[in-house]
Amino acid sequence: MNGLLAIIFLDMKRFWLDRVRLFAGLLQPLLYLFVLGGGIGASSVQGGAFYRSFIFPGVVCLAMLFTATFAAIVIVFDRQVGFFKAVLVSPVSRTAIGVGKVISGAMQAMVQGLILLLFAPLAGVSLSFFSVLETVVAMALVAMTFSAIGVALASRFRSTTVFPIMTNAVLLPMFFLSGAMFPLDRAPAWMKKLAHLDPVAYGVDLMRQALLGQTSAFFPLWLDVLVLVAATCLLSWAAVRVFARGEETGLGATQFPWRR
Amino acid sequence: MHADSPAVQVEGLVKNYDQVEALRGIDLTIKTGEMFALLGPNGAGKTTLFSILATLRAPTAGRALVHGRDVTIERDAVRRDIGIVFQEPAIEQRLTVRDNLRLMGRLYGLKSGEVNARAEKLLGDLNLAEAADRPAEKLSGGQRRRVELARALVTDPRVLFLDEATLGLDVDARRSFWKHVRGLLNAGRSVVFATHYMEEAEVADRIALIAQGKIVALDTPRALKARLGGGIIRLQTVDDAQASAWLADKGYAPLPGGNGIMLEQNDPAGVVPVLLRDLPVKVVRVEVHEPSLEDVFLKLTGRGLVEEAGSGRNGGGDS
Repeated sequence: MNGLLAIIFLDMKRFWLDRVRLFAGLLQPLLYLFVLGGGIGASSVQGGAFYRSFIFPGVVCLAMLFTATFAAIVIVFDRQVGFFKAVLVSPVSRTAIGVGKVISGAMQAMVQGLILLLFAPLAGVSLSFFSVLETVVAMALVAMTFSAIGVALASRFRSTTVFPIMTNAVLLPMFFLSGAMFPLDRAPAWMKKLAHLDPVAYGVDLMRQALLGQTSAFFPLWLDVLVLVAATCLLSWAAVRVFARGEETGLGATQFPWRR
Repeated sequence: MHADSPAVQVEGLVKNYDQVEALRGIDLTIKTGEMFALLGPNGAGKTTLFSILATLRAPTAGRALVHGRDVTIERDAVRRDIGIVFQEPAIEQRLTVRDNLRLMGRLYGLKSGEVNARAEKLLGDLNLAEAADRPAEKLSGGQRRRVELARALVTDPRVLFLDEATLGLDVDARRSFWKHVRGLLNAGRSVVFATHYMEEAEVADRIALIAQGKIVALDTPRALKARLGGGIIRLQTVDDAQASAWLADKGYAPLPGGNGIMLEQNDPAGVVPVLLRDLPVKVVRVEVHEPSLEDVFLKLTGRGLVEEAGSGRNGGGDS
């Protein structure tokens, strides 16, 4: 437990040193919300205001997804210098390292998401005490899943130049397929099928149910929660397994899990 | 129960990377309280050996014990017993020195009062007191290496591993680093360090000469040097091959000496004038000195200590 707290404490301290990232991290979601949302919304049948509020939960997810995975880059960076080795030679359990990284990434994503939540009224989403409460709980779960995606990816990379490229290559399809920017129930059949395999889709769906009500659901609520919890556990476990190998990478084992 | 077990015990240790045999059967016992050096060129396998002893890699064959505990089975117990300074920086550069040390205490699950007290003591002993509240990235190279040392020591390890810990430091900073290491050695603590500087290795109680994943000699510095009698003559000529052939012909037993020829002679001062007069090829350079560890290494391996520099850090000299 001490080790877990130490890992989280360390990462939050570094996050605080980098707090300017919070402002930079707002730019992309706000662009989606007001520029893309405004433009596409104006040409949609229901009008701009409707579209903006429709995509708002997805845009919050986008912000959290990118914050969480970017937070994980610190793992790659720590490996590139020797710092991660100092952590690995300590008796802190590998589970604490993996879970600590996932939690600290999720906390950072939460902070970013909560800041974005302040823009809800501007996006035409009305908040009540209960919807905020539900949203915060949903955000915590979604942030954990996204952070686990980031940590699972980051655990397998050694290069801070390759990691962001690979991450974008994985995240963008996940984000586009998630139904964040358009309703999945009217999407082509192949896209619906793929969305079922996309953990981000369940995150967006959960956030949408929390912010806009159950009528906006694509998946049942229980399925959202089940998939997100399962994905978080699975991805965290995958990361812990890599950390347990220490420096032992073998050919391809670190970079590409599916080769082993 | 492990009180009288050796600090480090290694038996038949083999480590293969994909194509490379990094360690090819290492046997080694390091006594408690000993200051032990691994001397060898880059790529000899020193870092790999440390990685295994520090539980970061698993051996391909053989076993390694730290204070009687197997590094692959009782990992956490071993981790509690050791501190290690890596070649590369392993402190968080943006945190202050003090925060770095406290972080280690937390990772080891130590009581904060205990860790803080030890951290303050180390900061004082290592001349880091005035740097304690600065981010590590703002420190000089020598200070940073001392912070690494403090990081490895703050958890009060029984065995301290130093892997080329002074790499990149100038002579003064290196000397001061070793002064601190010696000062910190107290009863019951053992130090194992890897280096390719022979003058660093001289301070050790015993030295293992390591080349291409094998220990080629293990003894005290004095005994190692005593393996070479008298003095050493190093020759460089315009044609070393021809000179070697001539020397061999005359019964001088030339050894390949890195770049040049090495002769082990009981009376070097008497021999040199004869050589200069009689050698059929032009001599470019001649040097006479007392046997050094590098000479021993050269004699045993036919290679210099810095010859293989530039090969991969983890690769075991596979040439």
